[in-house]
Amino acid sequence: MIGLFILLFILLGVIVLILGWILSSYLLNVYENEKSTWDMFILPVEKLIYRVLGVDTTRQMSWKEYFLALFFFTGFAAILAYLVLVFQGYLPLNPMRFHNLNWSLALNTVLSFSSNTNLQHYGGGSTLSYFSQMMAIQFLQFISAADGVVVALAIFRGFAGKKNGNDGIGNFYFDFVRTITRVLIPLSFVSAIILIALGVPQSLSGYEVVRTFTGAFQTIKVGPIASMQSIMQIGTNGGGYFGSNNYTPFENPSPLTDFMQMGMMMLIPTAMPFLFGRMLRRRNEGRTVLIASYGLYAIDLAIAFVPLTVISAGMEVRFGGPAAVFYTVTTTAFTTGSVNAALAGMHPLVVLAAFLGMMIQATPGGIGVGAMYMLMYMVITVFIVGLMAGRTPEYLGAKITEGDVKLAVIAFLAHPILILVPTLIAYGIGAVHGIGIGTGPKGFTQILYEYTSAAANNGSDFLGSTGNTVYFNVSTGIVMWIGRFTPIAIMLAIAGRMHGRKRSREVALRTDNFIFPSILIVSIFILAVLTFFPFLAIGPILMHLEGIKSVL
Amino acid sequence: MKIKDIIRGPLGLAITMVMICGFIFPVVVTGVGQGAFNYEANGSLATLSNTTVGSYLVGQSTDSPYLFHIRADSASGIDPDITVANASMQAHRIHNETGISMAYFNRQINNDTKFTMFFFGTGYVNALTLNLHLIRHYHKSISQYGRMYRNVTAS
Repeated sequence: MIGLFILLFILLGVIVLILGWILSSYLLNVYENEKSTWDMFILPVEKLIYRVLGVDTTRQMSWKEYFLALFFFTGFAAILAYLVLVFQGYLPLNPMRFHNLNWSLALNTVLSFSSNTNLQHYGGGSTLSYFSQMMAIQFLQFISAADGVVVALAIFRGFAGKKNGNDGIGNFYFDFVRTITRVLIPLSFVSAIILIALGVPQSLSGYEVVRTFTGAFQTIKVGPIASMQSIMQIGTNGGGYFGSNNYTPFENPSPLTDFMQMGMMMLIPTAMPFLFGRMLRRRNEGRTVLIASYGLYAIDLAIAFVPLTVISAGMEVRFGGPAAVFYTVTTTAFTTGSVNAALAGMHPLVVLAAFLGMMIQATPGGIGVGAMYMLMYMVITVFIVGLMAGRTPEYLGAKITEGDVKLAVIAFLAHPILILVPTLIAYGIGAVHGIGIGTGPKGFTQILYEYTSAAANNGSDFLGSTGNTVYFNVSTGIVMWIGRFTPIAIMLAIAGRMHGRKRSREVALRTDNFIFPSILIVSIFILAVLTFFPFLAIGPILMHLEGIKSVL
Repeated sequence: MKIKDIIRGPLGLAITMVMICGFIFPVVVTGVGQGAFNYEANGSLATLSNTTVGSYLVGQSTDSPYLFHIRADSASGIDPDITVANASMQAHRIHNETGISMAYFNRQINNDTKFTMFFFGTGYVNALTLNLHLIRHYHKSISQYGRMYRNVTAS
């Protein structure tokens, strides 16, 4: 039966690859400002937005300007959402009369959603008004997804250099507005309507209380669920309408919606390497990135399927065990973080595979940033290979300097530091004990997972509303933002340095063949394993060796 | 960078986007969804004698010996489905309690079975669907179990 499921999953992968390839051609037109049939509707709206903002979108930005515009914009967006959450009791569209959120939970929530993480220390169905779900949560899901896309675009342009009319790394406002109006809104709209047709509710009237056959009262919690479900998956966000996320039948009613939603989260991260190749006008270079990221994804899946007794508890009947494992690996490999079965019921090796996806972050990784991380590994790998072969390290004809490598290594090391230091502090000051979690391999796995998920901007977790304490709210909040914006700033800086660099015609090291992706995979694995092995060893690996079947 | 670049552009964009993504988008999706797929958009509600008795997508827990129960260990806690094996086991219980024939249950479970892999995989049935069929089919003879089917007898 697992064999059959693997076949179905391969079919899904093929469909996603085809759709991603088609989407990448559309994206190229969008960002290279080609004429489109939609222009007569969209262009006036876009021009109005630019006029309101007072920006000249034809002006090329330096990497610093690009980053600061993105950073301040995201900061303002988070502040707006914060105000919505702490004042939701006074705001409209609150038929269930939910109270204002306290400061630390609201802070955690907006830092989480604005960084594309979607770690949730609240249960949405019993905490957030419709207004908050729309104006705070769905809003941040859109903008954090668009942030990821535009970062990738700027970095691609930097790596591509001064070719094909590519005068700089681009203009943030042009990239951002177009990502919203021409990519994320159309894709989310179509998928939201399909999801409604398949049973996901979309309503603004309050919860309905019904009487069952036996006379008991039951609350049917409807809301603007489909509109959230669409951007949550398309934008690799992952934070669900309800606390129990994508195993709630209203979020994910059937095996068909389950498959569709896995495809939705895979779509844009799969299109990005194709887009990279198209922007370079060297498609084989895009293929290298794609093969490396899908290769890592395949390894991840293989680890998760080592224990054929795939799941012990906490799954929904309509999906079954294999689907739950595929979903868990996919949601961490693409750093989405929505889950269709309780993580607590998963075998330690499935949890290990989930860890690897979040530690590597390029397997293929989250929307936009997955490709960014792959280019970070590319810089490091080209340097290592250059050293071994005794040649000047080069990528796409441009020299990779000592400064580039230093920056890339800082971006890489930010991740383990952000995971391990707060994990240790949490144990040191007793915050872990305070929420009733122990020091054994099970407890350690849960806390390590919490910070790994936060730093990787994934958002799946074991804690849920147990983590709603001031310490965990604030510490994971800080980790999520630093984990988001440090690598983005560094990679934009590298792209800015690369852009103007002289390109040689001679090729010192070929990166566009089929051998290089395997070197890249090996180098990424060595880097990740060397960095994280000790911590994985006392967490999920020890659980596996002790014969513990799940965290439950 | 001037202060204007930091305030007007980024703050203006944030305000524009909260309107477009946080308000216009979900409201338009709600309008289209309610218009085109009204039943699904409102939560796939189940009715019996014109009374709403639940949703096919929210499992109902009951301890009535005359009805199908949902599982207690499920991830969401409201998993509306049970496996075919589980349904058959429960059919025996209801058969023993009420005398309703096993042939009826076997036929009904068979009719309502769906699969985890579209046409293959584990078979499962929606517990509410089974219960509704049961009550509709044995409407005339349910008076003796009336206490259990309070909603129906009241209407």
